[in-house]
Amino acid sequence: MLLVRFHIFSLACSLALASAPAFAQEPIELKGDVKVVRIAEQGGKRVETYAEPTQVVPGDRLKFTTSYRNGSGQAVQNFVITNPLPKAVVLTEVGNFEVSVDGGKSFGKLASRTVAIPEGGTRAATVADVEQVRWTVASIAPGASGSVTYFASVR
Amino acid sequence: MKNSSAIRVALNGTVASLIFASSAAYAASVPAGTLIENTATASFDTGGPTQSINSNTVTIRVDELLDVAVASKDASAITISGSAVLSFTVTNTGNGPEAFVLTADPAVAGNGFNSTVDSLAIDTNNNGVYDAGIDTLVANGGNSPLINPDTPLTVFVLVSSPGAADGSTSQVNLLAQAVTGTGAPGTVFPGAGEGGGAAVVGNSGADDAARGSLISSAVSVSLVKTATVSDPFGGSQPVPGARIRFQIVANATGSGSINNLKISDAIPASTTYVANSLTLDSTPLTDLADSDAGVASAAGVVVTLGTTSAGATRTVTFDVKVN
Repeated sequence: MLLVRFHIFSLACSLALASAPAFAQEPIELKGDVKVVRIAEQGGKRVETYAEPTQVVPGDRLKFTTSYRNGSGQAVQNFVITNPLPKAVVLTEVGNFEVSVDGGKSFGKLASRTVAIPEGGTRAATVADVEQVRWTVASIAPGASGSVTYFASVR
Repeated sequence: MKNSSAIRVALNGTVASLIFASSAAYAASVPAGTLIENTATASFDTGGPTQSINSNTVTIRVDELLDVAVASKDASAITISGSAVLSFTVTNTGNGPEAFVLTADPAVAGNGFNSTVDSLAIDTNNNGVYDAGIDTLVANGGNSPLINPDTPLTVFVLVSSPGAADGSTSQVNLLAQAVTGTGAPGTVFPGAGEGGGAAVVGNSGADDAARGSLISSAVSVSLVKTATVSDPFGGSQPVPGARIRFQIVANATGSGSINNLKISDAIPASTTYVANSLTLDSTPLTDLADSDAGVASAAGVVVTLGTTSAGATRTVTFDVKVN
């Protein structure tokens, strides 16, 4: 339960910050977007910018964002967003999401995941083992929106 | 390809960032032209049964990365006397089939001598060894065949020696440049990539070079001739009847070996060869042309030493009488 509460908190934060994406008039909407991370010099500092993915090569880091909006008149409960990672990318960092390293059978924080090794036994999972990511939003009020994000690089 | 070195803090502050150098961890890059498609699914309740919706699918096409790595395959300097073969690997570290302009430069700063590049060759039969007449020759400055990503190609550089001093060293630089183009990392060649996308220069600059080393092997032979006179009176005056012993010391120095070494000397005027006085390394040789190495006559002596290794010393003696 602690885990769920944490998610509510972090998503509430992002709710306030997220720019309002344009949605069609569907009751519940889910919209995917991808940007490529570029490092730019600004005032002598290296900062990340997010560009349209017009040119993407292996090694580039991608920002996958899924925006949601409750356009219905009633609260939505147990909103679970599941995102299988495309095979051509590898997760670069953990975030406020659970991961699956077994094709979606089970989810949890990366640190709790293990994978079998050919010699027998298991080892701790790494970001490279992640096959799916999942966010849980306990409740979305009518009219509310938010977004979730993961970063992955092109293999 | 070693981008994203900046430290980022994940949204979840309890977990330290797990960023690592991106592509270096993977054996093979995603091929150029691959489509990356991402779709999210959401499930939820609104009081009734659980419903689910899909997001739109976002699609990205992977462009071609131009990258190359060149390395010398030779574990140590290659010995060269007349000619030699240097071996290199050219690896397409990009993600699409690419040909590379291959240029061998024998004039490298610090060289003791500069070899001559006769040709380049591709290890067509992929056995790691240059096979004359089998491996395809490529002119210096010519193009390699298309190399698939992460597939090392062995390239030979065939060089010949100008006849440098023994032990002198030289390097030959092999440069490979992507045919599509080179430049600063990030340089874009629109539409030039595999599958119609862009070609983008990777961290190598789409070119790379490596040096192979040569060490000159040369043998030189020095001959030192001395004469010792014994006169009939117990002295050393070259009077008529005195016997003169000539000694010729052949010394091979350098490295390697020399072929067909033959020592010959004429009998001086006013002297007469003393029959059966010819020796090699203190062992008597017969005068006749037979199984031993020596032949002697009134005209002169010939000792055939054949192949002689560097470091060897051979001593020939013969006697004459002053007329």
